[in-house]
Amino acid sequence: MVIAALICFAILLVAWVLAPDGRTTSVPAAAEAEAEVERDAIPVAV
Amino acid sequence: MPEINAGDTAWVLTSTALVMLMTPGLALFYGGLVRRKNVLSTIMHSFFILGLVSVTWVLWGYTLAFGPDTGLGLIGGLDWLALEGVTGEPSDVYATTTPHLAFMAFQMMFAIITPALISGAFAERKRFKAFVLFAVAWSTFVYAPIAHWVWSPDGWLFTLGVLDFAGGTVVHLSSGIAALVAALFIGRRTGLVQLATEPHDVPMTVLGAGLLWFGWFGFNAGSALGANGLAANAFVTTNTAAAMAAITWVTISWLHKGTPSVLGAAIGAVAGLVAITPAAGFVTPAASILIGLGVGVVCYGAAQLRLRARVDDALDVFAVHGVGGAFGALATGVFATTAVNAAGFEGLLNGNPGQLLTQLIGVGVVGAYSAVMTGAILFLVNLVTPIRVAGDVEETGLDLAQHGEVAYQP
Repeated sequence: MVIAALICFAILLVAWVLAPDGRTTSVPAAAEAEAEVERDAIPVAV
Repeated sequence: MPEINAGDTAWVLTSTALVMLMTPGLALFYGGLVRRKNVLSTIMHSFFILGLVSVTWVLWGYTLAFGPDTGLGLIGGLDWLALEGVTGEPSDVYATTTPHLAFMAFQMMFAIITPALISGAFAERKRFKAFVLFAVAWSTFVYAPIAHWVWSPDGWLFTLGVLDFAGGTVVHLSSGIAALVAALFIGRRTGLVQLATEPHDVPMTVLGAGLLWFGWFGFNAGSALGANGLAANAFVTTNTAAAMAAITWVTISWLHKGTPSVLGAAIGAVAGLVAITPAAGFVTPAASILIGLGVGVVCYGAAQLRLRARVDDALDVFAVHGVGGAFGALATGVFATTAVNAAGFEGLLNGNPGQLLTQLIGVGVVGAYSAVMTGAILFLVNLVTPIRVAGDVEETGLDLAQHGEVAYQP
């Protein structure tokens, strides 16, 4: 049972390495909106 | 054969649940501090680790950290692989009045939150896949050995006499140093004029800090591993240090920047909680006031220095957890008294200056080990998959580019 459990986790580990890496295309509208926020950013007063 | 005590078991299991809540609390604390395009990814780094380290801890983490020593006080053996032999009966060594499984679960929550803390340092530009691999390796090769050194009765730092009640070195110093290394390794975020951006949701961060404060009662008072006076002492010192650090941080920022910052109150409270962690079961409530005051000043200064040094530790993990953890560990060597905990040692102020030196050795060793190993792990993971996302992904935001989701609809 211990070996089976370790194998199950190993399968997931391999899957994480091989899995696609999210979306690769940028979304200009979202980036532009965020850039707008960033330009307005002010220093944090902590 | 040790016997199970119902009160102790109830408190340890309750504390386990309290500490579990700290990781989603951390997710909110960090999530509010980043820009809105990265809030989901930041939350995910903590929440995924809740699942990930839960499994690795059961499989091999617990036995490496707390299993019977392999001989040199460096690492536990594989006797308890996949919790073989860890049952509802008490251990002969750990929390002997509670089921061994309860102690294991309590420690599991510490193992979960520690790598999650690091995630704040390289927030907003790390690849999710790389962070998952990093977290598996770091919890195995950094957290488990350090936990064994400090908390196993056979661990070499435990034998040396290092005091760490609930994880000032094991959890906070190790993660804070790792955070600094990670921030230096991955480099600064692109497109930032200043390294301190405006948090996108301060109420979220304050809610997260509140949940952390709440859960920390389990973290520290639960580390008494029993429903007793020591737990009560740890509970009170924890609350007092957090309170003192919060009002100290606000006061300093008020004088320095001209306004009493709400965010400063939240971060100050967390700094106080970090600093009292190693000391909670060794010092008096009066000492916890001094610890809270001191860490408020020191961590505020560290955060300002971090900005001047232009190290992009995005969410100040090093300044709060690294510096706060080291401060707390050293303060334990100053204020510890056996009047609070007969199982501890006297500190500097009670005629034992050697304890401060012992604490200093613990801080130095844990910090150096974490730094070297974190750098090595980042290097190796970077060979498998780049740690940092591409520039256009960073610009778009990790929520959409890495996870295909957005936190807020327009």
